[in-house]
Amino acid sequence: MEHLKLERHGPVGWLINDRPEQLNAMNSAMRDEFAVAWRELDEDPDVRVIVHTGEGRAFQTGVDVSEIAGDGVGMERYRESVENWDLHFTAWQQGVRKPVITAVNGICAGGGFHWVAEADIVIAAADAQFFDPHVSIGQVVAIEAIGLMRKMPAEAVMRMALVGRHERMTAQRAYELGMVSEVIDPPDRLREAAQELAEKIARNSPAAMAATKRALWGSLELGLTDACRAGAQDLVSMWGHPDQTEGPAAFAERRAPDWQPLD
Amino acid sequence: MIAVGAEPYETLVVERDGHVGWLVFDRPDRGNAMDATMLAELEQAWQDLDADPEVRVIVNTGNGPAFQTGLDVGQLAKDPEALREQSRRTKRAELKLTAWHNQVRKPVIAAVNGVCAGGGLHFVADADIVIMAEDATFLDPHVSVGQVTAYEAIALVRKSPAEAVFRMAFVGRHERMAARRAHQLGICSEVVAPDRLRPTAADLAERVARNSPAAMAATKRALWGALEAGLTDACRAGAQELVSMWGHPDQAEGPSAWAEKREPQWEPT
Repeated sequence: MEHLKLERHGPVGWLINDRPEQLNAMNSAMRDEFAVAWRELDEDPDVRVIVHTGEGRAFQTGVDVSEIAGDGVGMERYRESVENWDLHFTAWQQGVRKPVITAVNGICAGGGFHWVAEADIVIAAADAQFFDPHVSIGQVVAIEAIGLMRKMPAEAVMRMALVGRHERMTAQRAYELGMVSEVIDPPDRLREAAQELAEKIARNSPAAMAATKRALWGSLELGLTDACRAGAQDLVSMWGHPDQTEGPAAFAERRAPDWQPLD
Repeated sequence: MIAVGAEPYETLVVERDGHVGWLVFDRPDRGNAMDATMLAELEQAWQDLDADPEVRVIVNTGNGPAFQTGLDVGQLAKDPEALREQSRRTKRAELKLTAWHNQVRKPVIAAVNGVCAGGGLHFVADADIVIMAEDATFLDPHVSVGQVTAYEAIALVRKSPAEAVFRMAFVGRHERMAARRAHQLGICSEVVAPDRLRPTAADLAERVARNSPAAMAATKRALWGALEAGLTDACRAGAQELVSMWGHPDQAEGPSAWAEKREPQWEPT
């Protein structure tokens, strides 16, 4: 891949945005590569948890505005996929079954919020900054902010959406609001911390985590009561699975469980 | 304290002090884990407290070092037959553990006195108000023993920042959330010294009890009823809003101004 790096460290798959000179902005080629990369990591049987981060001083800054400004095609190239709700650049959009940790290594702006809103777990370097400049260049904010508003206090999301590029949110504030669960200081420890967290998660049952992920993300589609009903089906789906006897047995015998791989 | 309900309870303490009803988990040597008896008694206790005209607000807490640690896995291993009815209810989404499951009309305060693990999170997720002792902790070990997390986290996600809930669900038993963090996140509204938990809960309950019971019942219906809506539908509608701006002059002006490092000249509305 030209704009993304894929690596594997133990049970952890890494997806790294790699256009540091462009602050990891997503041009149309990178957008296509995301679709392939998520599928590849989800299908790799040796990967149990995925970490997504970026090279350089930015995590992700959304659509590549230089490409939009310069080629006469602009946003029109994306009209069909957006109008038809046919997007493929995040783990959620690609139906990834494994837990995904976003590790925000620097600036996260505009469309970059897709990978914050649509990750299971988010951690940030202490010097990471968040802002949403869409309305400052005449664009609408919709999908990223809609997702974020399901996951954190809405006022903070609306403020970012409307103040645009004229203000930035710090990693500390993102932590206070629960947008991220951990701030890594010094910032250069971010990858190490993400790997440690991912390895803890990799100790849990892959099948139970996949069903939990379906239940929890699926619940955001429904009202509370319907969500609990649907969640009950995901819960029961694990009954009789070998991991359900292996888990308690390993616990009783004080050893690491030997989980079944995902189908 | 006056006992509430016609029959005595074995695994719970259910009583009333003034207008405040108390539902106290009482299997302290088992981390207050729910066995078949407690499961049956919970349904009865919520009904008794909701039906008692003197009770205006209910406090839910635990005896001993734990608040609630979920289903009694000891009993599940030894006597699965005893929990068959519970399995059936889980499958059919007909649980009767919490005030929300039992459609209690009165305000419910969870006073978390110690560790709250796995299925214990039901009682945090489904309470109206949550306060905690400063040494209380949350964890969700389901996926660490090959179980799925569903109900508890689904409800918590409606009420608190989701990332924290997802993190608990996926990290499992390998990490705990402290009371202070739960307070920062708004999962609870107050953290107090352990020996101040019950007096604080009682004081808060007495203040709540000063409000109109009918207005609170209607408010409770309104607020819990509002926790209903769909993400994909909202995204579809949002996508139309997004596309509605395309072709507008500001969409050319914005990037041009950015590229030319000048202030954009927006169209008047």
